[in-house]
Amino acid sequence: MDLTLVAQGLLSGLLFGGVTSLMAVGLTLIFGVMRVVNFAHGDMMVWGMYLAWMLSSRAGIDPYLGFVVCAAALFVLGLGVQRGLVDRILDAPHEMQILLMLGVALVLENAALVAFGPEPARVRSSLTLPPLWLGPLFVDVARLITFVIAIALTVLLGLFLFRTAFGRRIRAAADNPYGALVVGTDVRRVYAVAFGIGAACVGAAGALVAPILPFQPTTGLGLSVASFNIVIIGGMGSLLGAFLGGLIVSIAESLGAVFLAPSMKELVSFGLLIVILLFRPAGLFGKRAA
Amino acid sequence: MSTVTRRAFLKATAAGVAVVGFPLPLRAQAKTVKVGLIHTVTGPLAEPGQACRAGAQLAADMINAAGGITSLGGAKIEFLLGDTQTKSDVARTEAERVINQGAQVLMGTFDSGNTAAIVPVAQQRRVPFLVDVAAADPITANVAKSVKAGQQKVQYVYRNFPTGSSFGRRAVQYFNEIFKETGQNPRRVVVMHANDLFGSIQAKGFKAAWDAAKPSWEIVDVIPWPEPPSDLSTEVSRAKALKPDIIAPITRPASAQLLLPELIKQRVEVLGVISPGSPGLYEAGQIAALKQDLEYVMDNVPWPNFKNPKTQQVAAEYRKRTGGKTFDTQSGYSYDAVFILADVLERAKSTDPDAIVDAIKKTRFSGGLMVYGGPVIFNDLGDNPNAIPAMIQILGQKPLVVWPKDAAQEKLVFPRPKR
Amino acid sequence: MTWLGIAALGVLLALPAVVSSYVLTILIFIFFYAFLGQAWNVVGGYAGQLSVGHAAFLGVGAYASAVLAQEVGLSPWLGMFVGGALAGALGAVIGYLGFRFGLRGFYFVLLTVAFAEVCRIVVNNVEAVGGAVGFYITFTGDPRQFQFRDNRAWYYVTLVLMLAATGIVALIERRRFGVYLAAIREDESAAEALGVDTLRYKMLAMIVSSFLTGVGGTFYACYLLSLQPNAVFGIPLSVEIIIRPIVGGSGTLLGPILGSFILTPLAEVSRYYLGQGGWHGAHLIAYGVLLVAVVLFLPEGAYPRLVRLVRARKRA
Repeated sequence: MDLTLVAQGLLSGLLFGGVTSLMAVGLTLIFGVMRVVNFAHGDMMVWGMYLAWMLSSRAGIDPYLGFVVCAAALFVLGLGVQRGLVDRILDAPHEMQILLMLGVALVLENAALVAFGPEPARVRSSLTLPPLWLGPLFVDVARLITFVIAIALTVLLGLFLFRTAFGRRIRAAADNPYGALVVGTDVRRVYAVAFGIGAACVGAAGALVAPILPFQPTTGLGLSVASFNIVIIGGMGSLLGAFLGGLIVSIAESLGAVFLAPSMKELVSFGLLIVILLFRPAGLFGKRAA
Repeated sequence: MSTVTRRAFLKATAAGVAVVGFPLPLRAQAKTVKVGLIHTVTGPLAEPGQACRAGAQLAADMINAAGGITSLGGAKIEFLLGDTQTKSDVARTEAERVINQGAQVLMGTFDSGNTAAIVPVAQQRRVPFLVDVAAADPITANVAKSVKAGQQKVQYVYRNFPTGSSFGRRAVQYFNEIFKETGQNPRRVVVMHANDLFGSIQAKGFKAAWDAAKPSWEIVDVIPWPEPPSDLSTEVSRAKALKPDIIAPITRPASAQLLLPELIKQRVEVLGVISPGSPGLYEAGQIAALKQDLEYVMDNVPWPNFKNPKTQQVAAEYRKRTGGKTFDTQSGYSYDAVFILADVLERAKSTDPDAIVDAIKKTRFSGGLMVYGGPVIFNDLGDNPNAIPAMIQILGQKPLVVWPKDAAQEKLVFPRPKR
Repeated sequence: MTWLGIAALGVLLALPAVVSSYVLTILIFIFFYAFLGQAWNVVGGYAGQLSVGHAAFLGVGAYASAVLAQEVGLSPWLGMFVGGALAGALGAVIGYLGFRFGLRGFYFVLLTVAFAEVCRIVVNNVEAVGGAVGFYITFTGDPRQFQFRDNRAWYYVTLVLMLAATGIVALIERRRFGVYLAAIREDESAAEALGVDTLRYKMLAMIVSSFLTGVGGTFYACYLLSLQPNAVFGIPLSVEIIIRPIVGGSGTLLGPILGSFILTPLAEVSRYYLGQGGWHGAHLIAYGVLLVAVVLFLPEGAYPRLVRLVRARKRA
């Protein structure tokens, strides 16, 4: 086996992993706090991409700056979805929550189709420079920037959740909603903010990945499934698990493309998933079985 | 609260019953031929499906403006539009719906699976079905087979589009001819393809044709990727490690936008990027997005014959109507299908299904705007053997036919200049 | 109630005499999706184990019977049971993996999604069954090959499928099995504490459900005549399978049927009215809004709501 190829696969996978991590962290936050699986996660990400595209093509704002706007817009969307929809069905059976989010996903996907058409779009960044070469290995500059910002955002989110009073309240509500209620937390406000932050994560991830990944209205489904995978592998509700899980899955798929027929590379992450479920059903970093 | 809900529910149900239960009154009194036009207008294949619909609509408007079908008293072509949502069950239901609304002919659908789901409807309801775009060989071949075996009396399904196997044969032939013409002798070809329906039809067809032809060059590897891909950088590294002379990609628009920049970024030095037949490498939007990364890329696709001045006019009109889109494979073949249909109806002098089928079988139509290997005819499988692809190349950011020679708009550039 | 059921059945039996082939097609899909919904209902509704990967069972059943018919000449009349058995075996594997480790709730949702995706990717890469190009079935219209020239025959086939599945579910509901499943759904730990072998009954529910879904695969193959991995193993089909019973009321006998009678016509109506204009996709937005509305206004499902309304009226 060609070692350069393996090293290159490792490197490319790692650099792509930043955004998959950010996307999965958003999902796990929403799940951890509300026990709601956001089936519209990928479609929200696609809206992050289209917003970055609009900012770039209409206002000339580079996606590496525009991601802030996208995150803010998706925060509002997430807040709205939580307040307007999810909040009303928190006590409803699980299948109703799934149906609700599937409905939201369908609306988001087809609203993008109506608004932007079916052609794939891609955002050009002025920072997309020629790749850097480290001997036989190359580093794609766009990926490197995406990686750095995504990691920085994840760290910031971690600091917020672990170092601020409101962050602690979110985590407390995630651990025990009734307990949080008892100590006088406005749980509904915490939920709305948590959903907003989860959506903002995926909005930022969408904007950051837009210069590397072309997208269409239908791109969302695959992204949702990828995030699902990562959070099970990492451990549902575990932020650290989602973060490291994102990197692991991205690297594993990249290496899968080296060793297998690349059309089978997605099997690597699903294979990983099944192995995890066999030997560590709570996930790599999950505290307890669900 | 609950009464509102119930009322809304009842209203919705009543609306459902109204549409479902009773055929709508026939609107137009003027004489028309009703054509069910069913494409993948939403879902993963929305883009090409919408192009097909737009191309067909342009053709019908032109025919109608010129007086309709003369032999039927100037009957106009009226489309009953259908959307398969890129789902086979919806495709079948839509076919039944348009037939219920009076469709006398069906056209569609771009997706081979959706098309196959309409075949039994066409056969059972005896409604001639002219496939405008769909490449899987069995669509027509299976019907021909069951007619031959006596399980079906008449074949109602015909196709004016290159089949998967014919695509591959042409691609290998053009590769050989181009290499010979330019005095080049590439050895190592790496096929990279989207592992979706069309991508693997094309890859298989190309590989099979190569096996049969045993040319001087070798397919050193076939690298499929899951479509849509989220990343192709490792795939490209893998291809690069094989030291290819030619990269032969089969893409979708989204994957083309990943693949081509990656080839440049990773400095994959090849004599050329030549596709055995693929979307994603010529659309106006793709050229705008990929710019220089697409320059000199060649693609073996069914393409409009721009040496025909009429094609130029139609393409200009199409661009105007669609806000800048290129008149290309999908729009072109759907456009031609409507004109073939008009020709068939002129000769059939009737909308009786068997009269239409008889006329289809006797078709010798040379008014098509695409590059053909001869007049449009239908063989015993129901396919047009003269529906052939042409080799186009992006030159000066425009897709131009460069091969076969008699249809060429421009001299081909191979090997591509170093950048 | 019984008389109402008999009258409804009479109407359904007589309908093909009066309606068009288009309406028949819609009814065929209403029945078929009600059948699939009923099959899902066993594990997803009664046992409360939400599978969003049921397309995998349909796909396995469809491919098995189609490949056996085309390559070996085995009639799909038998092939459908082979397909069902294979789907049941797959269901057993997934169920065992999930239930053994106590994966509940959303964990199980994601596990089933993952398994269906594995199937989709694998079949996309198996050249012997056509890979991503798919598997094409010759249209013969020969009843011995489970193909019919007349849509009315298909109508009765799917009606029988729907009624048979409903009959099976009714049987389950009345036996101890059904009681145990309900107990598991309501409170699994409590059921366990009472000595119910929850693993065993969840496995049984999964196998029955996946077997029935696999049988349905043969209809899909023979009615639509081609199978593509992305279509028959894909998440969109899994979603189609679950939304009807959920809308109708999961874990109720008539929920899947009612849900199918509500959603299929709604999809048809919104496509009819909104699918013609230039705004491609508008009809799916409307459909999505409808799903959201159902959740907000009928959070317990349509059938339980209907029952409540009828009771309230009787009291009044």
